[in-house]
Amino acid sequence: MKRMMMAAVFCAAVCQGADTASLEAGKKAEATYCVACHSTRLIDSQRLSAAAWAKEVDKMAGWGAVVPDKQMLIDYLAAEYSNTKPAPAPATSGNGAKH
Amino acid sequence: MTVSGLPNRRHIIAAMLAATAAKSIQAQDAVTIAGKRPMILHNDRPEDLETPVQYFGEWLTSTEVFFVRQHLPRPVVKEAEFQLTVSGRTARTIQLSVSDLRKLPQHKVPAVLECTGNGRAFYQPRVPGVQWGRGAVGNAEWSGPRLADVLKLAGADMNAAYVTANGADAGVAKTPDFIRSLPMRKAIDPSTLLALDMNGAPLPDLHGFPLRLIVPGWDGTSWVKWVNSLSVANEQDTGFFMNPAYRYPKHPGAPGLPVDRADLEVIEGMPVKSYITGHSDGDKIPMRSATLRGMAWAGEEHVTKVEVSTDGGSIWREAQLSSQALPFTWRLWSLDWKPPQPGYFTILSRATDSAGRVQPIVAPWNPSGYLFNAIDRIGIFVTETA
Repeated sequence: MKRMMMAAVFCAAVCQGADTASLEAGKKAEATYCVACHSTRLIDSQRLSAAAWAKEVDKMAGWGAVVPDKQMLIDYLAAEYSNTKPAPAPATSGNGAKH
Repeated sequence: MTVSGLPNRRHIIAAMLAATAAKSIQAQDAVTIAGKRPMILHNDRPEDLETPVQYFGEWLTSTEVFFVRQHLPRPVVKEAEFQLTVSGRTARTIQLSVSDLRKLPQHKVPAVLECTGNGRAFYQPRVPGVQWGRGAVGNAEWSGPRLADVLKLAGADMNAAYVTANGADAGVAKTPDFIRSLPMRKAIDPSTLLALDMNGAPLPDLHGFPLRLIVPGWDGTSWVKWVNSLSVANEQDTGFFMNPAYRYPKHPGAPGLPVDRADLEVIEGMPVKSYITGHSDGDKIPMRSATLRGMAWAGEEHVTKVEVSTDGGSIWREAQLSSQALPFTWRLWSLDWKPPQPGYFTILSRATDSAGRVQPIVAPWNPSGYLFNAIDRIGIFVTETA
């Protein structure tokens, strides 16, 4: 029993580590390969299925986005900006008017 | 601006309340857009900015709060270097400077400009694209020469099918250029302009300086910015922004199901639509008489009726339309309401236009999330007065 619990704790730590690493890698890919044409805000506000994300990434690759590991980026977007998650609250810009 | 004559006390109080509400929109982000008050920030590069509903309530939308939609990086055009080239099926190719364009007869057209995807965020299942809420729309006064007058200067073949407009913006990497073809019958409409001015001042860079196509009653996609090339042709442009982008299904489809590309057609005109703008969703008001306010618009038609329900749609009452029935612009509406008891009330608005079109309860889902025009809805808490 004790061994099982230890195994579970070990797995949780390792799996957590792997998740964090792939999350970080995905975030880095988004911030590297998508920003030649637009800010990441345009991405982060979407809530799409994995199939819809794959279609978007393919469309952008067709338009010249160079993404070395497309599947990794798609997996990240599908997990982080999934259609099962609620939409984020919209951001508001600062006051750039004269008054 | 008061359209229906001199402002009365109620108008003044409403304006003060609107100003207070607008001030309460606090900047939450480090990004500031020159010339714009705090806006809903969908994208800062290029700028895609939505007007917070609290800013609405006036007949004209101030340029400082007018929404911005850009597909490609914004070009900065120098007036001294600017030339509009008109070519294609014309007797001659001509080039016009800003001062040449200002020497032509100038016309002023007030018109609603609405992004084709305004309200996209309300479609379920969600679709990709800028997640516009209710604020990708505004009403401004546009002035400049008529497109028809510019075409005549070049001796354009008025029997040609299209006028294709291109702007100074260009794609990054292999992103397609933003090019749109307008059918000749709409191009030569006297209300179709090449605007130099917006709300009485030269167009800001964000809105297409120095020249923007004004296509009243049609979706924002037709209103090409930074226009520097017009080409008269019998064929529609074949680029991405004419096909498959900005097309709508010919037949209604089920939510979430794909639509065959051959079953999509170019969008012409805009649907009938209304907003409740005097109150926001979740507002708390005391239990005494209140005035509900909003606006309604209808593409190339004009609004003939706005009905409002304060009980979730059981009973509808006709609101008072407070501004003229002009084509292409919106009409402000108001309705006095005495809440019958404290509690939560679902307020709905529904517009009807001169073609008999009525806002639907459910806007037809479509794969790109265009033309959302369902009945508008907010909820208000009425609290017992002490």
